[in-house]
Amino acid sequence: MANMWYSIDIYRRLISVNIRGQLQYRVSFLFDFLATALITVLAFGSVALILQRFNNIGGWTVFEIAFLFGMAETAFGTMDMIFSGFDPPYFGQRVRIGSFDQMLLRPVNLIAQIFGSQFILRRLGRIIQGSIILLIALTQLDIQWTAIKITMIPIVFVSLVIFFGGLFIIGATLSFWTIESLEVVNLFTYGGTEMIQYPMSIYPDIIRNFFTFILPAIFLLYYPALYILDKPDPLGMPAIAPFLAPFVAMAVFTLAIVIWNYGLRFYQSTGS
Amino acid sequence: MRLFWELSKLAFQRQLTYRAATLAGLATNFFFGMLRASVLIALFHGNSEIAGMTITDAITYTGLTQGTIAFLSLFSWFEVMNSVYTGAVSSDMLKPMNYFNFWLAQDTGRAFASFLLRGLTIMIAYAIFFDITTPQSMPQWLAFFMVLILAWLISFSWRFLVNLAAFWTPNALGIARLAFILSWYMSGFLFPLRFFPPWFVKLCYLTPFPYTINAVVEVYLGLVDGQALVGIILAQVAWILMLILASMIALRAGVRRLEILGG
Repeated sequence: MANMWYSIDIYRRLISVNIRGQLQYRVSFLFDFLATALITVLAFGSVALILQRFNNIGGWTVFEIAFLFGMAETAFGTMDMIFSGFDPPYFGQRVRIGSFDQMLLRPVNLIAQIFGSQFILRRLGRIIQGSIILLIALTQLDIQWTAIKITMIPIVFVSLVIFFGGLFIIGATLSFWTIESLEVVNLFTYGGTEMIQYPMSIYPDIIRNFFTFILPAIFLLYYPALYILDKPDPLGMPAIAPFLAPFVAMAVFTLAIVIWNYGLRFYQSTGS
Repeated sequence: MRLFWELSKLAFQRQLTYRAATLAGLATNFFFGMLRASVLIALFHGNSEIAGMTITDAITYTGLTQGTIAFLSLFSWFEVMNSVYTGAVSSDMLKPMNYFNFWLAQDTGRAFASFLLRGLTIMIAYAIFFDITTPQSMPQWLAFFMVLILAWLISFSWRFLVNLAAFWTPNALGIARLAFILSWYMSGFLFPLRFFPPWFVKLCYLTPFPYTINAVVEVYLGLVDGQALVGIILAQVAWILMLILASMIALRAGVRRLEILGG
C-alpha cells in the first residue's frame, strides 16, 4: 500500500515537472494549444459546411453527427493526454535510444514512470473543443432523457478513454519488436477515432465487420448513440448492443496488459 | 547543378531504405482513403452526380488526396526548423550552395521517392479495388503532371517559409503546426472544395492552398480545361514566385539574427 502511494506521488511529481516545462515557452504553448483546438473545430466545421448542401450523412443530421464527433474527440483527446507516455511513436523512440532501459533500472514503478514521462498539455485544446461540440449537440438535439441515458454518457466517455488507452499500450508493446512498422497502429487509434465520428452503417462490410467482431469499436460509440438518440438500428444487432461499451473497453484493456507483460518478459534492449 | 543532383539522389535513397515503414504508411493511407470514400458515397444519397463529380470521381478523389499526402508533405515538415535547433544550420550555410536550393534539392529526392512509393502505389491499389477515373487524353496527363509539380513547389516554398520561424523563436513548433493546419483545411483535402458553400471557396482562393491538392484533383478528374486550366497554372506560378520572394526576405532577416551556440 505504501508502495502504491509512493508510485502515485512519483507520477504526480513527474507530471508537474512535465507541465511546468511545457509552459516555459508561453507563446509557443499558446500557438500549440490553438493549433490542436483548431484541428477539431475546423474538421467539424467542414462537415457542418458540407451538410448545408447534403443535409445528412447516412440519415444522421449535423447535430447527431456532432454528438458522435464531440464524444469521440473529447474522449480521444483525454486519452491522448493521459497516455501520452505510451504513444507508440514516442515510446518507440525511447526504446530505440535506450532511455526505456534507464526506466527499467530505476527502483520505481515502471508504469508510473511511463505515464509520468509525457503529459501533452496542448491536448486540452482538443478536449475543450470536443466538449463544446458535444455540448452543442446535447442542447440542440431533442433527446428524451431517462436515467439510463444520463448514466450512459459518462460511462461511454470513460469506456472510450480506456479502449483507446489499451490500443496505445498494445502499440507501445509492438515497439519491443519493430520500430519501423509502428505507423500501422495509427490505423486503429487515429483511424478508429476518425471512423467512429460517422455512423458505422456507411462503411463497407469488410471495415464494419472488422470493427464489430475483431476490434469491437462499434459498441463503444455507435450503439450507445443509437440508443441515446432513439434511432433505429439498421444493422439488426441484439437489443443489448448499446450497453456493451464498458465490457468491450475492459476486455481490450485487459488484453493490452497481458500483451504488455508478455512483451516485457521477452524485451531485449537494443544495446546501443 | 551537380551538387543539387547529388543531394536529391541521397534524399531519394534515404526514403527507399525504410521499406517496412513505407508498407505501414501505405496501409494507413489506404484505410483512411476507404473511410473518406465511404463518407462521400453516403453524401451522394444515390445521386449520380453532384457539382460535376460522379461517385467514381469522388472515390478517385480520396485516392488522389491520400496519394499526395506524402508527396506534397504539406501537413508536417520540420526539417529546417530542426536543423536550426541542432545547430546543423551553421555548417549547411557554409556549403557552396544557396540555402533555399540546398533544401529544395533534398526535397526533390524525397518528393520523387514518395511519389513512387506512396503515390503511384496508392493509385494502383485503388485501380485494383475500385472503379476509378483516369485522365482521358495525353494533353490532360501532361497538364496533370505539370500542375502536380507546381503544387509540390508551392508546398515546398510554403513549408520552407514556415520553418524559418525557427530563426526568431526557440520553439517555433506551435507556429508551424498552426500554419500546417491552415493548409490542411483550405487545400481541399477534407472534402472537394466544390462541395463547400461559395463564400468559403472564395475565402480559400485568397490563399495558395487550393492550388495544391484541389488543383491536382480537378485537373486529374478533368473538371477544368482550356482557359480555367491556364488560369490555374498561372496562379500556381504566381504563388510560387511570391512565396520564394517572401522566403528570401525572411531568410535574410533571419540569418542576421541567428546565433549559433558553440559546444
